Amino acid sequence: MILLTINWPHVWMVTGVGFCMVICLLVVLIFILKLLGAVISNAFNKAPKASEPKAAAPAAAPQATAAVSSADDDLAAIAMALHLYFNSVHDVEPTEIHIKRVERSGWTSKLYGMNNLHR
Amino acid sequence: MADILEFFGKMGFMNLSWQQGLMLIISFFLLYLAIKKQYEPLLLLPIAFGMLLTNLPGADMYHSELWTAFLDESSPYYHSYGAIMSHGGLLDILYIGVKAGVYPCLIFMGVGAMTDFGPLIANPKSLLLGAAAQLGIFLTFLAANAMGFTEAEAGSIGIIGGADGPTSIFLTSKLAPQLLGPIAIAAYSYMALVPVIQPPIMRALTTKKERAIKMSQLRPVSKTEKIIFPIAITTIVALILPDAAPLIGCLMLGNLAKECGVVDRLSKTMQNELMNIVVIFLGLTVGATATAASFLNIRTLMILAMGIVAFGCGTAGGILLAKLMNLFSKEKINPLIGSAGVSAVPMAARVSQQVGQEENPSNFLLMHAMGPNVAGVIGSAVAAGILLTMLG
Repeated sequence: MILLTINWPHVWMVTGVGFCMVICLLVVLIFILKLLGAVISNAFNKAPKASEPKAAAPAAAPQATAAVSSADDDLAAIAMALHLYFNSVHDVEPTEIHIKRVERSGWTSKLYGMNNLHR
Repeated sequence: MADILEFFGKMGFMNLSWQQGLMLIISFFLLYLAIKKQYEPLLLLPIAFGMLLTNLPGADMYHSELWTAFLDESSPYYHSYGAIMSHGGLLDILYIGVKAGVYPCLIFMGVGAMTDFGPLIANPKSLLLGAAAQLGIFLTFLAANAMGFTEAEAGSIGIIGGADGPTSIFLTSKLAPQLLGPIAIAAYSYMALVPVIQPPIMRALTTKKERAIKMSQLRPVSKTEKIIFPIAITTIVALILPDAAPLIGCLMLGNLAKECGVVDRLSKTMQNELMNIVVIFLGLTVGATATAASFLNIRTLMILAMGIVAFGCGTAGGILLAKLMNLFSKEKINPLIGSAGVSAVPMAARVSQQVGQEENPSNFLLMHAMGPNVAGVIGSAVAAGILLTMLG
């Protein structure tokens, strides 16, 4: 009985149009973000060329940059391996405790006393 | 003797109805969940305490009848904040911030100041996943209509699927303020339960091979892009959908303050002091609306049931669209990141990461999932704006 009293055409319209509008609006934002990314990356790529047109190395530099950016995962793996290696080196320690005896004399006792007071 | 009897007669114990007693037990249970289980404690604790305060007989901190008169066109107190200030209790006065839609927007400002939109800018396609995850909102809107709620109430119930507390509160306070208590509690409870609700749906809708897909590293995003992003989004969304402007505008203002780097003091205030103060006010007052009369009825149970449907449909929508995108794009997307499209930042993204690592421990999906996750915040604010325009 409740179902018959509902204004179904309006409900379906709100559902369909509402969901489509969310999708459409966010698709518009996708295009804008892509455009923004393209414009900014172009602006940044052009800027150094204008300032130093001939001095820059011709082809080697861009290739090197590409190689570095494509090997980010490798660099991360190497850094992790180094980190683990140095950590493990640090862990291997002789398990001996040395207690260094401090000889006190008339010359040094005053000094120790002052330090303790200061603390 | 008469004075003593009068004193005893005024005690809350003497005036406590069984409904209020039950509400007090529910508030104790929510406090237990917040403190012991740590389910969204920052909001659940003040909400539960607000519920406790409002159901104490004789405390008179919140008067639902004043707010009924506030909404009644035939009442002399129709839209009279003066009446609220002169006759209301502490929680009535604080509730004005909810009624005027101030608190959710201020919280969004803090959220914006804490959010990094970098993953979204690096991979704008994430926005599609954030949009698809809003499917839950609209399917639940249909279901709520079929269950006998009015269209405005159904819109407010549907927005639970956006998994965004401030957006739910903002829309409900405008469309169906009488449902604010149950909807806020459902929204925040289910957000806390994202790690329980989402994984079974994610596993059911994806194959092992899909869950193990590794995605390529995101490109670095320049500071200029991060600064232009909030300005561009605010301008475009507000021009297309003015009703979404308060939420999106505040979100993006917070983000701009963070990214521009010249107003660190403002950014820190938005992230900490402002956010914390507003969370206390919002939680207490939303909890205060959960009086025995408004909470203890079959409609609350229906709202709680539909809230979980909304979450489930949103999760499924994001995953299915990611699978669909894989059919047409060269670079494969791990469909698990689609589930993060239901806001719930950053818990939903963390769930994507965890489920992905179950299949492939060397797979790091977190940053990829953050894209749809923050897109979901924008998507749910846009959906709220659309519902407000069509049903308000």
